[in-house]
Amino acid sequence: MHNIENQRSQFIRPCTRVWLGLLALTSVTYGIGRMELGGTQIVMLVLIITFIKGEMVAGFFMGLRNTSLLWRAIMASWLVIVGGGIAIAYLVGLK
Amino acid sequence: MSTQILTLDSHKAGTPPGDLAIWFFIFAELLAFGIFFLAYAFARANNVELFNESQQHLNRESGAINTVVLITSSYFVVRAVAAIREGLSRQCVYWLGAAIGLGGVFLVIKLFEFHAKFSAGISLSTNTFYMFYLSLTIFHFMHVILGMVILAAVMLKAHQGGYTAEHHTGVETGASYWHMVDLLWIILFPLVYVIR
Amino acid sequence: MQYQSQAVAKPYFIAAIGLFVGQILFGLIMGLQYVMGDFLFPAIPFNVARMVHTNLLIVWLLFGFMGAAYYMIPEESETELFSPKLALLTFWVFLVAGALTIVGYLTVPYATLAKFTFNDLWPTMGREFLEQPLVTKVGIVLVALSMLFNLTMTVLKGRKTSISIVLLMGLWGLAVFFLFSFYNPSNLVLDKYFWWWTVHLWVEGVWELILGSLLAFVLIKVTGVDREIIEKWLYMIIAMVLITGIIGMGHHYYWIGTPEYWQWFGSVFSALEPIPFFMMTVFAFNMVNRRRREHPNKAAVLWALGTGVMAFLGAGVWGFLHTLAPVNFYTHGTQITAAHGHMAFYGAYAMVVMTIISYAMPMLRGRAANSEKSQVLEMWSFWLMTVAMVFITLFLTAAGILQVWLQRVSTEPLGFMAAQDQVTLFYWLREISGVIFLIGLVLYIISFFVKGETKEAA
Ligand code: HEM
Ligand code: HEM
Ligand SMILES: [Fe+2]
Repeated sequence: MHNIENQRSQFIRPCTRVWLGLLALTSVTYGIGRMELGGTQIVMLVLIITFIKGEMVAGFFMGLRNTSLLWRAIMASWLVIVGGGIAIAYLVGLK
Repeated sequence: MSTQILTLDSHKAGTPPGDLAIWFFIFAELLAFGIFFLAYAFARANNVELFNESQQHLNRESGAINTVVLITSSYFVVRAVAAIREGLSRQCVYWLGAAIGLGGVFLVIKLFEFHAKFSAGISLSTNTFYMFYLSLTIFHFMHVILGMVILAAVMLKAHQGGYTAEHHTGVETGASYWHMVDLLWIILFPLVYVIR
Repeated sequence: MQYQSQAVAKPYFIAAIGLFVGQILFGLIMGLQYVMGDFLFPAIPFNVARMVHTNLLIVWLLFGFMGAAYYMIPEESETELFSPKLALLTFWVFLVAGALTIVGYLTVPYATLAKFTFNDLWPTMGREFLEQPLVTKVGIVLVALSMLFNLTMTVLKGRKTSISIVLLMGLWGLAVFFLFSFYNPSNLVLDKYFWWWTVHLWVEGVWELILGSLLAFVLIKVTGVDREIIEKWLYMIIAMVLITGIIGMGHHYYWIGTPEYWQWFGSVFSALEPIPFFMMTVFAFNMVNRRRREHPNKAAVLWALGTGVMAFLGAGVWGFLHTLAPVNFYTHGTQITAAHGHMAFYGAYAMVVMTIISYAMPMLRGRAANSEKSQVLEMWSFWLMTVAMVFITLFLTAAGILQVWLQRVSTEPLGFMAAQDQVTLFYWLREISGVIFLIGLVLYIISFFVKGETKEAA
């Protein structure tokens, strides 16, 4: 029973919080879209939110936070490269 | 009793949940989508006005709702994994069924969106923005279908009592793939629908 | 050899090697014609030699695949072949049809051949790799169907392994996509469009399934690594092939009149095509490192590892080199394409056929492995052919880069022939490497006749 309790407190509850967090962040992103906000700062904010959401899904839902550094690094670098690339492309497009 | 510790510990030992092979697959898929996302971003940089203009014709609401749908579906899959780790096959099946149902909702919403675009005469050749919008979302759409098929297979096996608290790699494998499908949409939505 | 009927593979392998020699001879003729324009004129014009060179290549690879399948399927299914007689009959039909076709190419003008073989009733001829007369094409389909029937029946009555299922999928795909060679729309864009359904979906689709399963089979046998591990790799490789290769076909649709989005699709997906080839290399080395036994057939292990590496170099690296649309804009149809075509075909398909022959032929002749002396010679031939092919590729790449520069990039572009004149040196060097390749091939054949002490097959 102790272990089941363990898994509930270490897996389910954090994931529930992550789920709620994801919903909240999604509504922020949607709000920005809805108001058709643009510009560098806004876009960077959207990208950071996206990065956080990605890390939340990867770490908690996919369970990568319990794996070795290598796995987490691969996933994080994917998110950074994609997000960073989008940011760079955005800045390029401003000119 | 010690089995629970084992399942949790096995993650600490280094490898992610599920079959290792699926993780190769997941990263290969992420690579493919990653390149596609970047291609979109840089194509946009060359044609900002067109992209901003065309983006306004997208149905942002259905994109946002679909994000919520997929996130929630992903969460249900988490619950399915949690259930099977406690050996609760029945609950596992229910949670998986709910997740697959939400996958279906995603598809239906998406189909409405596609229908609206196609009946407006929009196609892959309309302009670069729509080329990307359609191919990215269709490509993702097919992954949702594949993910649902995988989850359905897992659900069937769980229903037949094929998984236990000790042996449930299959559930984690399917779950990991489904989370990836979710993760991709989490990036796709702001990229295509929001950033301007 | 565990099943009597596996013996039908032997004539297939012998025919494959024989036609391989023919292919190389015609390659050398053409290589000389590149630098001495009227060599063998008018007996064997360049276009005829080219057709013979490439068609022999395809046909000997098909012989190799079929031989491999007839060898592997009974062993994997743990049962005798459904009908060994049919397999032998098919062999002779295919050999005679192939030989007649080549004789036709060499003795009558192509247009006359087309007329004699009813090409005007149903035009299918005149397209690279698919030059065969209608009757030959029909023959190929019948041969393929009889083989598929035979093999499928065998698998159905025996054990079903992932190796045999992947192999069958590959062979069925081979037959299905060949059907597009019968479709020849008069619209040139559509013609090219569907031509690639055979050509590209063969080498970067279904043939890769065949490649994967042949490699997996040999690796299981020579390393003794658990089937489960090997099967997992096989599945991942196949999945990657299909994800990248099918849409990757877009890399041929950049400039033929197809919609612009193909430039994106082709670039993105084909850029990922090297991944399955890379996985195959890792797979081969990984399995050999984890081996549970020392198989006496060292040559077969060498071929298997070589296939992994060379397929990755030829298809993966040299393919990637010119697969992005902005690059292909300059390199399309130059010697760079030829460099890639040579190394990819050799590294992936010629080598995998030699891998399975190297493993199976001793078994078919009643021993686990050839004598030490024979194997040493075979390994020499491996190195000579492989290194020669690397040099052919490098020289053609050099010629190609110069060609692109002179003809397409420089401020005062030269005409095609004028640019060719500037790179003759590389064509000479290519021809010399080709001669070394031929020497390697001759040694390879001699190695089959070298006697010496051998172990009985287990
Ligand atoms: C074993 C696998 C492969 C074989 C046997 C092969 C063979 C060939 C051959 C013979 C051609 C010339 C076709 C023609 O006559 O026009 C060709 C063209 C081409 N291949 Fe491959 N190939 C393989 C894999 C790949 C891969 C993996 C890539 C990409 C990463 C690739 C990229 C290309 C491209 C871009 C062309 C067109 C070149 C041009 O525009 O002229 N190939 N290939
Ligand atoms: C060893 C000596 C060889 C020589 C001298 C040689 C020479 C040639 C030449 C001159 C061409 C025609 C290129 C053109 O149209 O301008 C050609 C085409 C071709 N050869 Fe070879 N070849 C040799 C070996 C091979 C081998 C071992 C393979 C494959 C296993 C091969 C596969 C091909 C293919 C696929 C083409 C068509 C390429 C394309 O369409 O781009 N050749 N060869
Ligand atoms: Fe191709």
